[in-house]
Amino acid sequence: MSGPDVAWYLALAAVLFGIGALGVLIRRNTLVVLLSLELMLNAGNLALIALSRHFHNGAGQIFALAVMAVAASEVCVGLGLVVALNRRNLSLDVDTLSELRG
Amino acid sequence: MIAASAGNVVVWIVWVVAAFTCLGSAVAVVSFSNPFYSALALIGNLGSLAVLYLLLSAEFVAAAQVLVYAGAVVVMFLFVIAYVGPRRETPWSGGPGWQTIGAVAAAGALMVEIIVAIGMQASGSLSHETEVGTAFGTPAWIGRVFLVDHLLAFEITSVVLLIAAVGGVILGSHTKRATT
Amino acid sequence: MTGLTYGSWLCLLAPLAGTILILLGGSRIPRLAAAWIATTSVFVAFGGAVWAFFGVHSQHQGPELLPLTSQVTVPAHGEITTAWTWLQSGNFHVGLQLLVDPLSTVMMLIVSGVGGLIVLYSIGYMDGDEEERRYFAYIAFFVFSMLLLVEGGNLLMLLVGWGLVGLSSYLLIGFWHDRPSAVRAAKKAFVMNAFGDATMALAFFILIAHTNSLDFGVNFNAHLSGTATNFVALGLLGGAVAKSAQIPLQTWLPDAMEGPTPVSALIHAATMVTAGVYLIARTYPLFEHARTIQLIAAGAGALTLLVAGLIALVQTDIKRVIAYSTMSQIGYMFVGVGVGAYANGVFHLLTHAFFKALLFMTAGLVIHAVANEQDIRKLRGVGRLMPFTKWCFLVGALALVGIPPFSGFFSKDPIVASAAALGTWYGWIFWVCGVAGAFLTGLYTFRLWYLVFPGEPSPFVREHYHDHHGREGAWTMLVPVGILAVLATFAGWLQWTPRWDPFTRWLAPAAPSLAAAVPTDTQEYFTSVAVVIAGLAGLVLAWAIYSERRIAIPAAPFWRRLFEEKFYFDWLYDRIFYEPAVATAAFLRREFEEPVVLQTGPDVGNTTLATGSLVRRLQTGLLRTYVLFLAAGAAIVVLAFLIAR
Repeated sequence: MSGPDVAWYLALAAVLFGIGALGVLIRRNTLVVLLSLELMLNAGNLALIALSRHFHNGAGQIFALAVMAVAASEVCVGLGLVVALNRRNLSLDVDTLSELRG
Repeated sequence: MIAASAGNVVVWIVWVVAAFTCLGSAVAVVSFSNPFYSALALIGNLGSLAVLYLLLSAEFVAAAQVLVYAGAVVVMFLFVIAYVGPRRETPWSGGPGWQTIGAVAAAGALMVEIIVAIGMQASGSLSHETEVGTAFGTPAWIGRVFLVDHLLAFEITSVVLLIAAVGGVILGSHTKRATT
Repeated sequence: MTGLTYGSWLCLLAPLAGTILILLGGSRIPRLAAAWIATTSVFVAFGGAVWAFFGVHSQHQGPELLPLTSQVTVPAHGEITTAWTWLQSGNFHVGLQLLVDPLSTVMMLIVSGVGGLIVLYSIGYMDGDEEERRYFAYIAFFVFSMLLLVEGGNLLMLLVGWGLVGLSSYLLIGFWHDRPSAVRAAKKAFVMNAFGDATMALAFFILIAHTNSLDFGVNFNAHLSGTATNFVALGLLGGAVAKSAQIPLQTWLPDAMEGPTPVSALIHAATMVTAGVYLIARTYPLFEHARTIQLIAAGAGALTLLVAGLIALVQTDIKRVIAYSTMSQIGYMFVGVGVGAYANGVFHLLTHAFFKALLFMTAGLVIHAVANEQDIRKLRGVGRLMPFTKWCFLVGALALVGIPPFSGFFSKDPIVASAAALGTWYGWIFWVCGVAGAFLTGLYTFRLWYLVFPGEPSPFVREHYHDHHGREGAWTMLVPVGILAVLATFAGWLQWTPRWDPFTRWLAPAAPSLAAAVPTDTQEYFTSVAVVIAGLAGLVLAWAIYSERRIAIPAAPFWRRLFEEKFYFDWLYDRIFYEPAVATAAFLRREFEEPVVLQTGPDVGNTTLATGSLVRRLQTGLLRTYVLFLAAGAAIVVLAFLIAR
């Protein structure tokens, strides 16, 4: 069956990636930042799967599964951070976590 | 494998619907001021992505997407959001004046550049669609590729998961009383 | 290497060694040690000059004494010694060369001999000055530079010496640098000399363009076109006029009296100011090819000797009277070399060195003894307290006026006679100027004598006179004065042109007199009588006015003001050159230096600060900002890759 070319899928992935990046850069709530990060990861996954289908190479799907696993781990750790912050009654506003000032 | 009935039109319609859902829910994730709603929007995004994966003959990955992402990750998010409590914030506020503009510019630039890159390649190696066999994307096939060709990746992924689990537990545990 | 060579190099390098020793010693050596190092080095130079003199003399005795043909060969009976090739540019070579021939040995003897006496005198004069060592270093350096000038074996070495004496003069005039008048005078001298240096350099450029060499021999035998020769001669004349303080570049010499008196004696009487005369005598072939320019030199000399004589009549500073007298006598020398009587001009240079240095040094004795007062109106009667000084000054004065048997008579009259020998209208004008100048010389010299030395000591003198341990001055000051008095008396007997002329014959290989300028015996005798009568007339008139007060000084306000304003030369040069230059400098400083150049430093600093504070705003401390930079960086890298494809 023929549907949209792989280029369409890649373009979709690019736009999704951009929206995710925008969210990471602009939102101040840590949780929403993590959600936007998920969007970016999914965009990468989509690109991988599309190209795997196009080049008939299984490695793309394997890589996508690995990315999924890593994303899950990262969410786990990130949410652990959020919980730890909350337990210490610190604000979840990314702007207040500014000890990295140069 | 979707039955190849009614030709391309069905595929195209499905693709368009899935794509719009994907993008719309992505925008919703980024825009809602209540993080709870953002997480719910993410579910929609993940679902549409699963549909797209099915279109791309990646059945196992689509199933894993729904199970792992929508099932586990988003649920975790919802738990933590509920635990942390209600927060509301204006989505696009704060920071130095140039932050917002810079962010839009950077994200837009990345988007445009990637699309341009694709466009440049579109006449090259992206133009030949190859036929895939029916076994492509099945769990058996994935399993064999995973365990035979990419065993190292498999093992490392499992180690990463272990470390993440340990880290998450440590981070989330009660702290001992600080002695300062 | 013959004695000639050894002597000449020794003569040149000894004062330089003296300077270097004093410089190296610095403040570690006592002041007196520096003084004696300088003096000894100059006397060693004199020894070298005598050695070289005998070397040239013995060459004269040999059979290779040839009469000169129309082809000028230089060095004629002289020897060029080359140390090494100094400058080389394509085919153009200049060697570090010394020329030792009759003319240069005469000059070497004068410079080192009179110089040695004056440096000895300085030991007494500068005793007690805080910066004595610097003085002696400078004066030894000056002697070296002047010797380099006279010993230079090609035009470039001459120019080097020329420039260095200008520098030494500047350093010594402004020696007391905390006096603004001294600093101004030094600057004035240097700038006016620099003008002369520039014209000389232009002349050298023309020579190099035509002959590709600065050697004497090559240039004297080359046949340049008429205009080229005229320009070369004009350039050389410009330098000579500036260095010798002739009109129109004479205004620096009276101001140069700001320097210490020994400096005035050495540099501005005996040696440096006579460098112009030496230059014309040395490069006489070039001038003879450009006869008009040579006659212009004589004309400038004639004009100067009159103008300087007139100005000297109204001067009230003892040193300035003698300075104008120097200017006037150098005018005589210019007349001499201008008409072509080189030997006469150089002979007058010799005797003038003696009696003018004597006059300056006796004046210095007076100044030293009466608390540095130089105004002659206050110094009446000082001769009663300083008899030795009085008699020495009288000897110098009589020599200056040209009364026989003192030396000036033997050297001044032949110059005037040579002018008559030309037979042309300008020759007679020069003759008349020479005789009139002799009258003026007698008048102003004895005006000075009668105002200062004889008679009852004035109250000022009585109050301020102090002697030096019972004598009129230190022995280092009295001995050179005495020696010079003897020389001023007897040196003239070396040559009396109608009867015996060893000096002219000695100089003939190097600077033969132009045949048209050799006077007959009748002209000589007649001129001598005229000049002596004129001088005596001036003396008697001065006696009548200033001593006996029989005749009153005529009021004549216009003339008096003209003389006192030095014929308005200073006024004119101020308006034309000095004030526009100062205005331009002030304008540039206001419009350019302060807003632009000086502002650059603060501007650079401010810009850096501003940029820094701008960049600081990037360090927001926010995580989001740093992620933005990550994203932006990634976008730029992708863009770079896209462009690269």
